[in-house]
Amino acid sequence: MKKLDIKKLLLTMVMILLAIIFLLPLLWMLSSSFKNPTEVFASPFQWVPEIIRWENYANVWTNTSLPFARFFRNSVLVTCISVSGQIVVSSLAAYAFAKIDFKGKNVVFMIMLMTMMIPVQALVIPRFMLFYELNLYDSLWCIILPNFFNVTSIFLLRQFYASLPNELMEASRIDGAGHLQIWARIMMPLTKNGMISATILAFINSWNEYLNPLIFLPSVKNYTVALGIRWYLNDPSREYNLMMCAAASAILPIVVLYIFTQKYFEDGISAAGVKG
Amino acid sequence: MKLKHKTKETLIGYAFLAPALVIFITLVGIPIVISFLLSFTKWNFFSGISQLKFVGFDNFMKLLTTDRAFKTALANTIIYTVTTVPLTIFISMLFAHVINGRVHLQKFQRLAFFVPYISNMVALGAVFKFLFRTDGPVNAILSHVFQVKDTPNWLVSTSLSRIPIIGVMIYSGIGFCLIVYIAAIKNVPQHLYEAAKIDGASSIRQFFSITIPMISPTTLYLVIVRMISAFQVFAPINVISDGGKNAGNTSLVVMLYEEAFRSYNFGYASAISWILVLFILVVTLINFHFQKKWVHY
Repeated sequence: MKKLDIKKLLLTMVMILLAIIFLLPLLWMLSSSFKNPTEVFASPFQWVPEIIRWENYANVWTNTSLPFARFFRNSVLVTCISVSGQIVVSSLAAYAFAKIDFKGKNVVFMIMLMTMMIPVQALVIPRFMLFYELNLYDSLWCIILPNFFNVTSIFLLRQFYASLPNELMEASRIDGAGHLQIWARIMMPLTKNGMISATILAFINSWNEYLNPLIFLPSVKNYTVALGIRWYLNDPSREYNLMMCAAASAILPIVVLYIFTQKYFEDGISAAGVKG
Repeated sequence: MKLKHKTKETLIGYAFLAPALVIFITLVGIPIVISFLLSFTKWNFFSGISQLKFVGFDNFMKLLTTDRAFKTALANTIIYTVTTVPLTIFISMLFAHVINGRVHLQKFQRLAFFVPYISNMVALGAVFKFLFRTDGPVNAILSHVFQVKDTPNWLVSTSLSRIPIIGVMIYSGIGFCLIVYIAAIKNVPQHLYEAAKIDGASSIRQFFSITIPMISPTTLYLVIVRMISAFQVFAPINVISDGGKNAGNTSLVVMLYEEAFRSYNFGYASAISWILVLFILVVTLINFHFQKKWVHY
């Protein structure tokens, strides 16, 4: 029989209150997204509007001049290709750094680590020139290609490969397997947790990217979700309810995904924190 | 035979590295060099390569001596960093200490604090922009609950417009630090807390005497990461104020963006980016130095 812990209950109540305060801005966003423009700033404030206006969402998503569905598709496309590309590229590189003995690898690895100190903002100008010359400017590839290379991702996976015993490789080497087979069949599957972490981190970064799309995607048809919200912000008619619809449409899918994979998300973040 | 094997391994090694190396060289390596060279030039991208002029250290001299917009941007970047980093770190540390085993419904709390971190910054910026409107919810609470007569114009005044920006930076930053701290606290040997309990140490006492010192390596890591990210603040300012480079609440990156992609002054903008690099470099080096001194377990 456990004694009722008053202190724990009190602390729980304080923390729940704080948690709810934390969620208030997002609840306000959700609530406003179902209102009409005049209700948004009406006083007293109503958390649940009298009429739930689902048509706001229909309006935002199917709007012909500003098709949010298209922005969503662009964001999904950018994120999926970026993340899967980054994981494959990083996994190959990480295997090489951890398990293949070759000339110059430490130098290459050090140089890559050192460039971590150069922020992406210092790279966007030359990248802009390059993409402009290659006629890639204003295409989703400007956002995707740079994401294929990520030092953190390589570093994280390298730790996982380094922790795998070499005996695993040697047994298959005797059977005549090359590095590619060893990587694909034996080693890579064993770094599953590392790949999940790297995937989660890459996913969050890519989905929430803003500066790069802002620079490289000027035409509306290539907008990502973030640029779509920005359009509503700058729209002179200022339809706050629609803007909050757009904001909610960007946030909710990630929140739902997070709720179903909470453990992976948190392990992913803390793996980066502990190992990075 | 031996040598041949070695050469083969080297070839295979580089074959595995090839995809990463190609992207690294074209989109990181070469851009670093170009950006560095550009920072010593005066050049508008659309005027063509023939108009490119080497000006030596002129860009840096202008930035550090006469350009008032840069002084503002630099000062603001420092303000954003020194306000958001300590607050974010301290709040997350405290919450992690409490959430870890001292409360019920942990999972819900982690969710609530974490969601802002994974939310799109533009979406959050949009929400905060309207929370802080003159007739928005923040002022409604101030006037109704706290009876404030003259509620401030958060978004109009230069100094006040930093508040929503700082707010959204802290709001979105806590989740990340919290999750890392919770993982770190789980690694603190439980017997320390048990011994403290037997000695009658309160939860607050345990926080200061056990949690803070035991997780200091994590704190150092988070301070570096959050400082570097605060130096690079862009989205919240661009979304909340969008006042251009003269707005008064700009940061280094906002100014860089305006110079580079509204005025296409690639030379001048590159110089700004290298001052940002310098900041990150200094912080990283200082932290390496202090790592030995104040991280103890």
